[in-house]
Amino acid sequence: MTLTAPVRVDVSIESAEPAKAPRTKRGLVITLVLIVIALFWISPLALLVITAVRPLSDFIGNGPLSWPADFTWKNFSDAWGIGNFATTYKNSAILALIKVPLGVLVSAMLGFALAKLRMKFRRTVMFTVFLGLTIPIYITIVPVFIMMRSAGATDSIFGLIGPYLAFGIPFEVLVLQSFFRQLPDEIIEAARVDGAGDWRVFFTMILPLSVPALVTVAILDAVATWNEFLFALILLNSDAHKTIPVGLLNFQGQFANNNTGLAAGILIAVVPILIAYTLLQRWIVGGLTAGSLKG
Amino acid sequence: MATTVALSKPKRGGRWSPWLFALPALIVYVGFLVYPAVSSLWFSLTNWDGLSATYKFVGLDNYFKLPSDPVVVTAVKNNLIWTVVTIAVPTVIGLLLAIALNGKVHGKPILRLIFYTPAVLPLVSIASIWGWLYNPQYGAINSFLRLLGLDGLAQPWLGQDSTALWAVMVPAIWLRTGFPMLLYLAALQGIPNELYEAATVDGATKWQQFWHVTMPSLRPAHYIVLALSLIDSFKVFDMIYAMTYGGPGTSTQVMGTWMYFNVFQYYQAGYGTAIAVVITLVAIAVGIPYVRSQTREAS
Repeated sequence: MTLTAPVRVDVSIESAEPAKAPRTKRGLVITLVLIVIALFWISPLALLVITAVRPLSDFIGNGPLSWPADFTWKNFSDAWGIGNFATTYKNSAILALIKVPLGVLVSAMLGFALAKLRMKFRRTVMFTVFLGLTIPIYITIVPVFIMMRSAGATDSIFGLIGPYLAFGIPFEVLVLQSFFRQLPDEIIEAARVDGAGDWRVFFTMILPLSVPALVTVAILDAVATWNEFLFALILLNSDAHKTIPVGLLNFQGQFANNNTGLAAGILIAVVPILIAYTLLQRWIVGGLTAGSLKG
Repeated sequence: MATTVALSKPKRGGRWSPWLFALPALIVYVGFLVYPAVSSLWFSLTNWDGLSATYKFVGLDNYFKLPSDPVVVTAVKNNLIWTVVTIAVPTVIGLLLAIALNGKVHGKPILRLIFYTPAVLPLVSIASIWGWLYNPQYGAINSFLRLLGLDGLAQPWLGQDSTALWAVMVPAIWLRTGFPMLLYLAALQGIPNELYEAATVDGATKWQQFWHVTMPSLRPAHYIVLALSLIDSFKVFDMIYAMTYGGPGTSTQVMGTWMYFNVFQYYQAGYGTAIAVVITLVAIAVGIPYVRSQTREAS
């Protein structure tokens, strides 16, 4: 069972009952309790924002929980320069722009073969690929490091593409093949009768019909790529090649005593992902639940 | 649509056609995941230091050394605590939030947005944020305790053995509650109202409805949450590395970080890899039922 279909739940049976007033009242109480929990939940981020826009002297003088007496943007410009964010942003963006489309394409191709083509050893291939979900990255770092060193690809974001693709493939294939499976076979058969080959079916029918699943997978993959830490930590050395997570770790060390600058730096690192998440949350939520809630 | 190229293929495409689709992903997957993972098995049987050109085959020596390494003992214990706590607490909180959100609540989308937000942040940034909140002098947590007059409770949370691991698990819980919440929310919305109607007609109380209608209907969701959380919890590395670096001392080492330290700090690549092999085998063993269910369901 997949839970992709839009479901209405707000209309519950209780609303049909005459006792409407207490129900609404209870809804209000639950809402209030949830709002308090939500404020508490988001307070680390709220504090981060408040701290990032106040001068350091104000922070030290009045304490972290006080309302700023003064506002400033200076922390951001300081953090931006010292944290080398222009470089790490560029590196992370290039990496995501190459890795994500490539990963989604090859995963979609494999997913198509598993879902719609008659393929030998299909179950074996599926099992082997899905097993990748359970493998921790650190079991592969020594051989990957040796591989990249002998290929001269250490300290380059391009050396990260292979391992990132490999660790993204299991999840992407899992979601995409289950989506492809729901596409009716009849339309594919009809296209074949008209003489379309597998490639044409894939590019002109399967992909266009699967845009929602492809977008979801691409977004989740972009988040994972943007956030990946361990491979980047062991493969990248020089500041010029670092990605956001590794750059942020360095920055954290340098700004240990500058609380407001540190807050600004952390914000700089997370703001794009927060904005993307807020704008695209519909896709993320749908994809997470559709991809895993089966069976 | 008429095509100019007459493809004299069998109806289902050529016998090789599926493999042309499958191969690009499979080559990358095998080359960068399967092959490295398997060759780690080999390295774990050697005394390689990670730098020298040569090394010796030492059989299972590295594995025999594990139980007498006090840090491995600590790491195993920490991995167990981590697994239990970061699965149980987020699952329970996630379920409670989902049930609350599934009722007649105003502003549902924004509440859901807030509770899931930590899950999209880079682990390193979560570590930075909480490291900053835990700062003994200027951290918000100690300031808050002092504000409440609980000065005695203010302490160096990440700097002492007794609290460090627990202090790292709090942000892990913060980050991992969103996923079960979303999953349970979706599952709750899939429970047909007729079930509750029937239960109401039979005179079941809210509490009875929860245990006899809601919980059984959530079984697939429980299973997925548990399986994915288990798989995830064995991968713990980033948070520990970025928040405590395994310290103070070695009190917050887990298998993943202790592996890293052995390989990249102490130049014991063979031994470090053996640590990784052990935890990976456990992770695979635990994950196999889930992987099989996904494979079977699809066929």
